[in-house]
Amino acid sequence: MSHATVSVAERLADLVGPSRILTDATAITTYEVDGCRPCAVLLPNSAAEIAEILRFASAEHLAVIPVGGKTHLHIGMPPHRYDVAIDICGMNRVLAYEPRDLTLAVEPGITYSDIDRRLQENRQFLPLGAAGKSATIAGMVAAAADGPLRYAYGTCKDFLLGLEFVTGEGIVSKSGGSVVKNVTGYELHKLFIGSLGTLGVITRLNFRTFPLPLARQMFVISFERHSDAIVFCRQIVNSHLQPKILDVIDPGAAALLADRGAGFLNRQSWFVIVQASGQEPVLKRHRQDLASLAATLGAREFLTLDETQRDQLFACLSQFSAIAFETTSVAAVLRIAALPGALTEIVEKVRKVTDQHELACAALIRAHRILYLALMPEDARLYPKLVSCCRELMQLCLSSGAAAMIERCPAKMKAILDVWPSPGSEFEIARRLKGVFDPHSVLSPGRFRGNI
Amino acid sequence: MLSKPDDLLLYEYDGSVEQAHPDVIVFPGRKEHVVEIVKLANRYELPIVGRGAGTGLSGGAIARAGGVVLAFSRMNHILEVDSENQIAVVEPGVVNLDLSRAVEKYGLYFAPDPSSQKSCTIGGNVSENSGGPHTLAYGVTSSHVTGLELVMPDGKVVRVGGRTAEVPGYDLTGLVIGSEGTFALVTEIIAKLLRVPEDVRTLLAIYDSLEDATDSVVDITARGIIPAACEMLDGWTLRAVESYVHAGFPLDSAAVLLMEVEGVRETVEAEASDIVEVCRAHRAREVRRARDNRERALLWKGRKEAFGAVGRVSPSYYVLDGVIPRTKLTPTLLRIEEISTKYALVIGNIFHAGDGNLHPLILFDHRDPDQFHRARAAGTAIMQLCIEMGGTLTGEHGVGMEKNELMPLMFTEADLELMRKVRAAFNPVGRLNPGKVLPLGKGCGETRLQPLPTSVGERP
Repeated sequence: MSHATVSVAERLADLVGPSRILTDATAITTYEVDGCRPCAVLLPNSAAEIAEILRFASAEHLAVIPVGGKTHLHIGMPPHRYDVAIDICGMNRVLAYEPRDLTLAVEPGITYSDIDRRLQENRQFLPLGAAGKSATIAGMVAAAADGPLRYAYGTCKDFLLGLEFVTGEGIVSKSGGSVVKNVTGYELHKLFIGSLGTLGVITRLNFRTFPLPLARQMFVISFERHSDAIVFCRQIVNSHLQPKILDVIDPGAAALLADRGAGFLNRQSWFVIVQASGQEPVLKRHRQDLASLAATLGAREFLTLDETQRDQLFACLSQFSAIAFETTSVAAVLRIAALPGALTEIVEKVRKVTDQHELACAALIRAHRILYLALMPEDARLYPKLVSCCRELMQLCLSSGAAAMIERCPAKMKAILDVWPSPGSEFEIARRLKGVFDPHSVLSPGRFRGNI
Repeated sequence: MLSKPDDLLLYEYDGSVEQAHPDVIVFPGRKEHVVEIVKLANRYELPIVGRGAGTGLSGGAIARAGGVVLAFSRMNHILEVDSENQIAVVEPGVVNLDLSRAVEKYGLYFAPDPSSQKSCTIGGNVSENSGGPHTLAYGVTSSHVTGLELVMPDGKVVRVGGRTAEVPGYDLTGLVIGSEGTFALVTEIIAKLLRVPEDVRTLLAIYDSLEDATDSVVDITARGIIPAACEMLDGWTLRAVESYVHAGFPLDSAAVLLMEVEGVRETVEAEASDIVEVCRAHRAREVRRARDNRERALLWKGRKEAFGAVGRVSPSYYVLDGVIPRTKLTPTLLRIEEISTKYALVIGNIFHAGDGNLHPLILFDHRDPDQFHRARAAGTAIMQLCIEMGGTLTGEHGVGMEKNELMPLMFTEADLELMRKVRAAFNPVGRLNPGKVLPLGKGCGETRLQPLPTSVGERP
């Protein structure tokens, strides 16, 4: 460590106290982002401390990345600079929970699993799903993580009520409120969803909670062909049924998840996963209607899962992207938002490209609109094929009207390929907004779309 | 274009108690007209205010600093309905209910349903991030719009969002919705459509105590039920309504609760039975269930025509829109009663009980300046009360020019300064809809704007 960094580290230690700064190499390695390491990790425990750190960073031209459970650090481009990690995991309290008002306020570092446990005590939940055991709620918001319940409940955008955050200049600010309905003032908190820590460090989140249904049942219906699976989904969407989950996995994904405990997945099929909830007559109606729809489309199997199998599959679906990424050292995961009507065609085109490149892949179609596609070369020597496949797929999505990004890939690939789609006519506004929230480019510089 | 003083008078108002005089009204027919008008307004340094149907309740469409009003009534075309993907692309002047009617044949509808949905426009809904009785289950406008075409204050055309669920990058669509016309003019909207539910049940519960009604609302959720709508009228309001529409509300009751559940037939049946049970457990003296569409319409009539009924008993009324945590309903209503006594004005209460969104109606006579003054003061006191209870200033009507000076009740100077800078990122000289959302005062672009020279339109 140079003299300059030593002195910076000392001064940072003054801000949070010597017990809440990490500078040893082993500890720091785990905070790596795409191969870049910070020179110090700070563990603040209040918004005021974070504000001080960011004021200091602004003055010293240091680059800061907020870090939570480290489950989504792969997203985005490598940072241009990275001096300090702000680890928010110590700020993990529930600040207010009013089950009767359906409102919850938490600190950023609380894990989704902890929130879920707390809400379950009152028969409530937050419709996301743990994207990883350590995934923190602020990290999931900043990464725009979605979950299997998206089909019925939408995304954070639909249930995040308000935020407190610290801007790049170290100013504590907020937007939104803590009640379930509110349109007072500009909804700055909407910008933070998926912003990857480029606008501010989130210090408090207010959510709307949802009552747990009295009962639920998950059905798994298998098809030989992708087209039948997608048609089956479309018929559900066009019916009066109101399932809570509507996900599809391809044979590759089924094999992957079968290894993770979902052993009931026959590896040779496309599986549609449907969850219904409510009282018994409602479950029965879904069971009957789904079974008859499945029969007309020549489904292979119709399974009704028990509670243990359901929990397993729900966890697997929540963590699909991470599971697939960990299978090999050179995996990549693309996230493709498509129109429901274009899904069959996109799946076919994508399959053609991956077949040409002879790459193993696994696909999850979430909520009949988001395709998570994992490319999993068996061998690191296939890396060049991975790169050309990703490049071709991004191009393909662009020309098919689908919005795609490479969510996870080997860091070295980012040197030659942008993981984001190239910016459109709105980019000038995005750039100006970045200037408003973080005028000195202290926060996660370079990681976001358009080099922001 | 309109510029005669008599014509302009109509555009001085919206649905609120605010008023200001525009200098000229123009009716663009397409995006290119909007761009040209914006450029002209820039050349003459005039404020620009977008306007839909003028049904807003916070003065959002009023030209507070004069200038050009762009009335979108001619841009009222549904450009595309993509029923397979449940999307409609519309111009801003399309009337909310017209969109739902146009897609009815596909079994689809547009979920936001403000009370003014027969006349309000989708452009206005986007500006104000409007809600409606069904917000409890489906959310406000921002949950139902995925993309926008914008004309920026310098005349540049920008697209944000898109047709697909989400586009990587900052959620500019989410930010622009609810910016009350202060960021950009919206010239095209990509709206999400929902499937019309298979079945619906409407219930009306009648109570002798407001508290029992409130407790019922909370316990319905505890049973895992989110009603599609959950509306309450207090004793004074239900009596005013009853004498006008004869909805069958007992005149001696303290509150009525109107609830609707919708979805799969079996769900609806089970939930309706549960709701009846909860209401009875909380001493509802009667629970009515609509047996058909006619009965359903009758139950809703009392709610939908409540404002009209109040209009019959008072020359003017001032509608508020505060939100409180719904469990604080009873203490809040008691305090509103005190405010009513203090300012010697009748205040009726009608609200979206499920989400704690209050619509107190303050009755006054606008011809009496003292009453007008007291009505404003009582309104401010109620909004302060909502904040004190842990709530917010507005649930669905927007801040506009009605509540912008009250923003410091909810936000610190640092919060407001950041919002000002965000606005400036879109609207640097403050030409778009000046004097709205944020408190006036230091550093605001709008104070520099000058009214139009009298050659274009005489001020009365």
